[in-house]
Amino acid sequence: MKQQMRLITTKLAMVLAACVLMISLSFNYALSAGDQVLRMANKYGDAKSLDAHRATGSQDRLIVDLVFNGLVCYQPGNLSVDAIIPDLATEIPSSKVLDDGRQQWVFKLRQGVMTHPYDGNPGYELTSEDVVYSLQRAADPKRSSFAVDYSGMTFEATDKYTVQVTLDQPISAFLFLPKFANRGGGLIVAKKALEDKGDDWFKTHPVGTGPFVFKEYIPGEKVVLTRFDKYYKGTPKLDGVEWYYMPSDSSRELALQKGELQVIEGPKEQAWAEKVASYPGVVVDSPNSAETIIAHFNMTVKPLDQLKVRQAIAYAISRKEFVAVYGPKVSSPIYGVAPVGRMIAGLSREEAAKENLVFEQDLAKSKSLLAEAGYPNGFSLEVFTSESATYRRAYELLQAQLRKIGIDIKLSVVDHSTFHARIRQNLDPIVFYAAMRPNPDVILTQFYLSDSIVVTGKKAITNFSHIGEVDADGDGQIDSLDDLIVRARLEQDSTKQVALWKEAQLELLRKMVSYPVIAIGYIFARSPKVDWGYEMITITDGPNPTEKTRLLP
Amino acid sequence: MNAHSKLWRTFKNNKTAVVGAVMALIVLLTAVCAFVIAPYDPLEQDVFHRLTPPERSHLLGTDEYGRDVLSRVIWGTQISLTVGFFSVLLGMVLGTTMGVAAGYSGGLTDSIIMRVVDVLLSFPTLITGILIAAILGSGLVKLIITIGIVFAPRFARMAYGPTLAVKEMEYVSSAKVIGAGSLRIITRHILPNIFGEIMVAGTLWMGTAIMAEASLSFLGLGVSPPTPTWGNMIKSGIDVLASAPWLSLFPGASILITVLAFNMIGDGLRDIADPKLRA
Amino acid sequence: MLKYAIRRILISIPILLAVVTLIFFLVRSMPGGPAVAVLGDYASKETIEALEKEMGLDIPIWQQYLVFLRGLLSGDLGKSLINGMPIAPQVARVLPYTLELTLSSAIFGILFGIPLGVFTALRRNRMFDYVGRTLSLAGISLPSFFLGILMMLVFSVKLDLFPVVGGGDIRDPIDSLHHLFLPGLTLGLMMTAYITRTTRSSILNVLREDYVRTARAKGMRERIVIYGHTLRNALLPVVSLIGVYAIVLIGSSVLVEIVFSRPGLGKMMVGAIGRRDYMTLQSVMVVYAGLVVIINLLTDLSYGLIDPRIRYD
Repeated sequence: MKQQMRLITTKLAMVLAACVLMISLSFNYALSAGDQVLRMANKYGDAKSLDAHRATGSQDRLIVDLVFNGLVCYQPGNLSVDAIIPDLATEIPSSKVLDDGRQQWVFKLRQGVMTHPYDGNPGYELTSEDVVYSLQRAADPKRSSFAVDYSGMTFEATDKYTVQVTLDQPISAFLFLPKFANRGGGLIVAKKALEDKGDDWFKTHPVGTGPFVFKEYIPGEKVVLTRFDKYYKGTPKLDGVEWYYMPSDSSRELALQKGELQVIEGPKEQAWAEKVASYPGVVVDSPNSAETIIAHFNMTVKPLDQLKVRQAIAYAISRKEFVAVYGPKVSSPIYGVAPVGRMIAGLSREEAAKENLVFEQDLAKSKSLLAEAGYPNGFSLEVFTSESATYRRAYELLQAQLRKIGIDIKLSVVDHSTFHARIRQNLDPIVFYAAMRPNPDVILTQFYLSDSIVVTGKKAITNFSHIGEVDADGDGQIDSLDDLIVRARLEQDSTKQVALWKEAQLELLRKMVSYPVIAIGYIFARSPKVDWGYEMITITDGPNPTEKTRLLP
Repeated sequence: MNAHSKLWRTFKNNKTAVVGAVMALIVLLTAVCAFVIAPYDPLEQDVFHRLTPPERSHLLGTDEYGRDVLSRVIWGTQISLTVGFFSVLLGMVLGTTMGVAAGYSGGLTDSIIMRVVDVLLSFPTLITGILIAAILGSGLVKLIITIGIVFAPRFARMAYGPTLAVKEMEYVSSAKVIGAGSLRIITRHILPNIFGEIMVAGTLWMGTAIMAEASLSFLGLGVSPPTPTWGNMIKSGIDVLASAPWLSLFPGASILITVLAFNMIGDGLRDIADPKLRA
Repeated sequence: MLKYAIRRILISIPILLAVVTLIFFLVRSMPGGPAVAVLGDYASKETIEALEKEMGLDIPIWQQYLVFLRGLLSGDLGKSLINGMPIAPQVARVLPYTLELTLSSAIFGILFGIPLGVFTALRRNRMFDYVGRTLSLAGISLPSFFLGILMMLVFSVKLDLFPVVGGGDIRDPIDSLHHLFLPGLTLGLMMTAYITRTTRSSILNVLREDYVRTARAKGMRERIVIYGHTLRNALLPVVSLIGVYAIVLIGSSVLVEIVFSRPGLGKMMVGAIGRRDYMTLQSVMVVYAGLVVIINLLTDLSYGLIDPRIRYD
C-alpha cells in the first residue's frame, strides 16, 4: 500500500510539472504581442481621481494629461513657460487693461475640435460654452482642488468660439499662461458629459478632447486608454496606452525585462539607473524636473522659534550627502526655494554666497550656535515621515546628520495620506516637502504667504513655517513676506519681477524659514522600441505619450 | 527533584530540542552582547560607501545609507527577541487571565469573554495584526502591544478548557467548602495545571511573534527607522534585490534560523510533555 | 446530521454580526482621513471639508453604522471613498484570484502534505524522516514573502518561465494558471510543511493506540492496519487543523499578493488602509470574515461527517 500511495503521488507530481512546463513554454510565445499598445507602469498603488480638476497627485496627472487639452499647452517634453504654444486656442492671447483697472485676455478657439465619445453620446464639438463651464468649475472650491489659482477671475463666452477672461488684478503673461495650460485647472472638460452623468461618474470616467480616450479603469491595477481617431492634431500612431499601478520596484523591473511593459518608472536612485541601463535592450532616461525637496521649520515649536537653533540645524545638513543618496544624475543641490537652473528666478550658489547664506555643512559652527542658543547638549524632536521612499530617505538622512550635533529626532513612519494630513494640522516641527510648482509665485504663495498658514490661515495651504505670523529673528517684530510676494506677483516688468523673487528667497534664508536641499529629476527605463516623437528635456509627473509617439517594430 | 532530572534527561536526548536550544542560545547571546560584537554603530551612515557588497571591512556589506549590515543584523537580534519575548508575555498574561476568568466564573462572564475570543480568533492572525497595527501606529512598544493583543485570544482558549476541567474536580469543590478564596484556588490548583502547556505554546509563539514583526514591517507597519529590525531590513532590501541581495538575504536567514530554533525547542518540549509522542 | 449542520450555521450568524460590528468601529478608529488622502498636495481646509461631506462622513457614526448594516444585508457594499466606484463589483472581480490562490495552495498542501506525513511517520527516525521533518520545520519558519521573492528571482528571472506581475485574465484558464503557479507554489509549500507535520504526529499518535496494537497482535495485515484503522482516525485532527491552516493561509496570501503584484483581497485591503478608505476596508474585512466563517463551518461539518460521535453532541 505504501508503494501504491507513493506511486500515485509521484505520478501526480510529474503530471503537474509537465502541465505547467507546457503551459509556460506555450505562453512565452503568445506573450510577445505585436500590437501598438504602449504599456507603462508607475510606482503608485492606485488612482485617486481621474477627474481633471481633482487630479493633484502624479498618478492621476499621468492619466488626465493624456485625456484632456488646455487652451494653451507646454511643448511636449519642455516645461519652459517661454515655450508655451496654443492648444485649443488658435493663438497665444495678449492682455488688455480695462478702464477700471481690470485685465482682460481673449482666447479664440479652434473650430471643429471634437470631444471623446462617452456612454450615450458619440462626441460633440467643443465650444466656448464648454470652456467657460470648465474654467468656472476649476475655479469652484467645491468641485476643484485648483480653485485657488483662479480667484479673482471671471469667464465669459462672448461668442461660439471666443472666451473672455477678466482678472481683478493684472498679472504678467508669465504667471497667467500656466493657469490655462494643459495642467490642473486649465484642463478643459466636456460640459455635456458632466451634466449628463455628474461629478461622481466623472471621477472614474474622464471625458476630454485629448489624443487618448478613456476606456477602462481597473482599481488597483491599471487604466486603459485607446486611440482617439478624431483627435484634432491628427490620429495618434499608437493603438492605445495602458498605465499599470505597480508599487513594487522589483516587479516593475522584472516586467520590463520580460517585455510585459515598455516603460517603467524607476526609484529616484542613480544606482538603480546604472544597474538597469546595463541590461540588454533597456534605455534609461533621466529628464529634469523642477521637483524640490525643502525642509520647513515650524517656528511655533520650541526651540525652533529661535533663529540660532534653525541656523544650527541648517549648518548640520549636508546637501552633498543628499545628492549622494539620491544620486548625482538624479539630483542636484539648490540654494533657494526656486530651483536654480530648472526654474526662472532660481537662486544660484553665488547669489546666496554674497550674503553668506549658503549654509554648507559645518558641524563646529552648528554646535556653537546651538550652545549659544542655550542647547549645548542638543534636544529631541518627534517627527513623522511618509513611508514613500522620497520622503523617508530625506528624513532618515536628516536624522543621521542632526544626530552629530546632539539633536535626537524620533522618527515615526506613517503612510502617505496620514503624513499629508498630519503636516497640514500643524503637528510637525520639521516638515520635508517634495513638490513641483510651475513658478516662484506659486511656491511663495503656497508656502510662505501668511494666508496659507496651516490650520489658522485664511486660505490654509502649506505654509508650515508660520512665516507672516511669528517673530522669526527675535527682534520683537512679526516677520512677513506677504508684501514682497504680492509686489512680485503684480510686477509687470519681468526683470524687476525676477529680482523681487530672488529677494524673497534671500529673505527666507536670512530668517532661515526653510532650508532648500535638492532638486530631483525622474528616472524611467524603457524599451528602445519606444519612440516618443519628441525630445524630453523636462517633464513633470512622468513621460507622456502624444499623438506622435509610436512603437518601432 | 527526581521528576525534574528525568525530564531534563529526556530533553537532552531529544536531538531536535537540543539543537534548537543551542541555536536559540547563540541568538540570545548575540542579542545580549550586541554592544560588544557589532563592529560598527548600526545607525552610523556613510553615504559615500553605500550598497557595497560583502568584503573584509564590511562582512555583510552596507545598506542604502552606507550602514554596516552585519552590525544591523546583530542589533536587530535584540529587537526581534525583545518583540518576540514581550509580545508573547503580554499575550500570555492577557489571554490566560481572560481564559481563566471565563472558565472559572462561568455563566454570563464566560459566554461574553469566550464569544469575544471566538470572534477575535476567527480572523487570520496577520490580518488582525495589520488592522490593529494600522490603528495603533508604528513604534516598538505599539508593535509589542499589537502582537500581544493578537496572541491573547489563543492563550485564552488554551487556558479555558483546563480551567473548566479542574474546576469540576473534587479537590476544588472541597476547597470551596472549606472556604478557600477563588484567587487561592486559581493559583494553587488551576494555574499549575495549565502552566506546562502554556509554556510550550509560549516558546513556539516566540517564533510566530518574530515572523509577525517581519511581516508587519514588510508591510510598512512595524518599528520606525532608523532602528534595525530584520523585518524592515528585508523591506528596504527588496527594492534593490537584484543588485544588492545581501540586504534582504542576511536578515531573512536570521529570521529563519531564529524561528527554526524556537520551533525546534517547542517541538522538543511537546515531545516531553506528551509521553505518547516520544519518538 | 442535518440538525447538527443547522445548529452550526445558526451559531455562525451572531458571530458574523459581532465580527462585522467590530470591524466597522475598528476601521474608523484609524488616524488620518480619506478626504486628505484624495486631495493630497493641493488641499485647502474648505475643500477637505466639502469632500468629507460628499463622502458621507459628516453624519453621526451611529447612522453610518446603520447605513453600513443595511447595505450589507442587501448586498450593497457601498462606494469607495477614494474613487467613488461601487465596491461590490470590485470585490467580485478580485475575489476569484484570492480564492484561486488559497484553494490551489490548500489542495497542493493536502496532496503532498498527507502522503509526506504518512511516509515520514512510517519511516520514523530514518533518513527520510529526518530530512522531511527538517524541511517542514524550515517551511514553517520561513517568512512567506521572503520565499515568494526567492521564487520570483529563481523562476521568473533566471529561468524565465513565469510572469512576474498580475493575475492574468481570470476568464482564460491557461493564463490564470500561468500567473498562479509561483504564488500558489509559495503558499502551497508552506501549507505542505504544516500538514506534513500534523499528519505525521497524528499518525504516530494513533499507531500507539491500543486498538492498533490489538489489530497487529491479531495478525492483521499491515496494509489493513494502516488503511482501515490508522488513517481514518488519524485524519480527524488533521482535518480540523486544515481549517486552521487554511485561515493562516489567507493571512499569508496578503503578503504573497503584494510580492507578486497579484490582484486579490489582500492587495485591496492594504491599499485601502493606506488611503484610509473606510468603506473598501470594512467591506474587504467583511468578506474575509465570511470566508473564515465558511471555512470553519466546512471544517466542523466534515469533522461531523468523519466522526459520528460529534454529531450527537
